[in-house]
Amino acid sequence: MATRHDDLPATGAPAGEAGDERANGASLAAFLAAGIGSLAMGALVVLNEAGIFPSPTFYGPTGGLSGRSTLTAVVWLASWAWLHRQWRGREIEAGSVYLATLLLTALGVIATFPPLWELF
Amino acid sequence: MLFSFDSLATMFHGIAAGGLALMGLFAALFWLYAMRSADVGTTRTIDPAPPQRAFGVLMVVVAAALWMTVLGGTYIVFPTYRTPPPEGVTALADYPRAFLLSDAGTAWLHAFAMESKEHMPWIASMLATAVAFVATRERPRLWTDRGLRGMIGAVLAVVFGLVSFIALLGVLVNKVAPVQ
Repeated sequence: MATRHDDLPATGAPAGEAGDERANGASLAAFLAAGIGSLAMGALVVLNEAGIFPSPTFYGPTGGLSGRSTLTAVVWLASWAWLHRQWRGREIEAGSVYLATLLLTALGVIATFPPLWELF
Repeated sequence: MLFSFDSLATMFHGIAAGGLALMGLFAALFWLYAMRSADVGTTRTIDPAPPQRAFGVLMVVVAAALWMTVLGGTYIVFPTYRTPPPEGVTALADYPRAFLLSDAGTAWLHAFAMESKEHMPWIASMLATAVAFVATRERPRLWTDRGLRGMIGAVLAVVFGLVSFIALLGVLVNKVAPVQ
């Protein structure tokens, strides 16, 4: 029989011992990091198109996309590692993290949309 | 040879890897929908562990398929697509990017379609990876935490929308200017 988790405290406090699988911090870190990565991709596209930060070319045949995608992956993984370290084993208020993730993702997707960055 | 390596790579990218990801995303969304009807949080007579494990496995497969699609597209298919024609060459069929940009009627297939395909798949892959991580880590919560299921559903809906959009654009581009 399942144990309900909906009534767990949302104080950011540790939920029992470190590494407690019932704590949601690690999962929220994964979501938020993906949102940060999405925003990073959008920002890099806009910065490249505006001429502010031309994307480096790490792999010639792919051109600037190799730079944008690699830098995006670095931002994503670094933010995930940091957030995971900060939130692992802790119970975090999920609603605000969910909202932030979706908002960052929306901004990232919009910024990669050609009609938008062609304005720059 | 009937099919070139680049042509085979494009087919694998779009149909095998991308197609697998799309099917998996649809299956995952359907699983979440079916879970809404489950006897959640009250007395249960079935063991939830197997379907929870199955969802986790499915999401790992979806994330892996998306990364295969993205990396194959970025580092194998895209270079062939964007190879510039040698100077003096006027027959551009073997140079898809140049071919599309040579005509005002097809230029949008590069300027809009391919430019969208360059970046959005990376966002979809990162989101799918997050869901795969959560789905394997939070197996017990998937059954009882409606908020978590809602968030996973929202993220998967975004990923499914992005991948469907990107896939359609890829079909259009490859129809007009196939990678040979």
